[in-house]
Amino acid sequence: MECDRAARFLAGFADGALGPWRRWRLARHVDACAPCAGRLEELRAMSTALREHLDYHRAPPGLAARIGTSLAREPGIAPARRRLVWPSFAGAGLGGALAGALLMMLLIQPGPSQPMLNALIDSHVRSLMADHLTDVLTSDRHTVKPWLSARIDVSPPVVDLAAQGFPLIGGRLDYIDGHRAAVVVYRHDKHIINMFTWASPGRPDAPPRTEARQGFNIVSWRAGGITYNAVSDLEADQLMAFVRDVGRGQ
Amino acid sequence: MPHLDAAYNLARWLAGNGTDAEDVVQDAYLRAFRYFHAYKGGNMRVWLLAIVRNTFFTWARENRSARLVFAADAPVAQHTEDDALWASPAPDPETLLLARLDAKTLNRLMERLPAEYREILVLREVEDLPYSDIATVAAIPMGTVMSRLSRARAALRRLWREAEDAHGV
Repeated sequence: MECDRAARFLAGFADGALGPWRRWRLARHVDACAPCAGRLEELRAMSTALREHLDYHRAPPGLAARIGTSLAREPGIAPARRRLVWPSFAGAGLGGALAGALLMMLLIQPGPSQPMLNALIDSHVRSLMADHLTDVLTSDRHTVKPWLSARIDVSPPVVDLAAQGFPLIGGRLDYIDGHRAAVVVYRHDKHIINMFTWASPGRPDAPPRTEARQGFNIVSWRAGGITYNAVSDLEADQLMAFVRDVGRGQ
Repeated sequence: MPHLDAAYNLARWLAGNGTDAEDVVQDAYLRAFRYFHAYKGGNMRVWLLAIVRNTFFTWARENRSARLVFAADAPVAQHTEDDALWASPAPDPETLLLARLDAKTLNRLMERLPAEYREILVLREVEDLPYSDIATVAAIPMGTVMSRLSRARAALRRLWREAEDAHGV
């Protein structure tokens, strides 16, 4: 690789933005070329200086609360538009028929529907953004459980998982795609877990299954006539570990 | 509030003061809330930062903010030889002094850069966003991300040299 060509890619190299092939070629060139090695060192020095010394302005205390207040004043906070895209079967021929069959197979699989998943994520995000995370704020499960059962026809398990790294934050009521839901809120480091529960009398049990969308993970299961959906930006395996702990703690 | 620190930090660097930054962030979160249905998934921090930057530039245009110095109008950007300097064949040992740049000077020099340069440096070096996410936030093509980043770095480097010469560091 020539120097003038290498120079064009040095910044991308320092920023980790090159593909493996170009990265390898550039590394080989820089090893053998003192001027380019010098320029690369300079790029990295500036990057280090900025990363170490540039002021990081944290949000002042009270800003979150002020935003929450102004959000609460928003007139007619409309529910997010829910889309269910149906493939057009008419005139789509065999391909359309196959797609239709595939869709049917997907629909037969137990698990939350598209609008349900959207509603869960909307509620999760709203709970974080509008600062309406909890109606009852306490780490005491003996307070959360009666509070919820007094208000709704489902008595979700409220377990103490602080030792497993999931401290209890509180609970709230919510309305998810036609279901009155009791939400138990847990935390893991900086990540919030909303566990939505509602009564599904007579419905069969279903094992946990994971969905990922919009950067969130959702684990859904059903047990003892209650439908559960845990939503978080936690990694899928961590959220699954949480779900297992909830199951053990009951 | 998700990603509030990241949103405020970007707004603060763009607006240059806390009061305006707070207004921008508050307005941006209100917009994010209203247009949440338009969120098509992906990195939520990137989506929010894009709203923050749009809110700032709208606000700055409406208020004719002095902070809104576009790169093309800024004296530091007129020196196109920066690019040539950057690609000069001989390594310049003096420039390694950048590594010894003290925090106060660096922040002061950064304040003197045009808004678009401050923005791209914060996105790249503080938020550690890849080029593709920077392209999304700043609403520019990937090629422009690279050239703007390169010009921003060259401009900062030139300011640093001037500061060095002035103080005989």
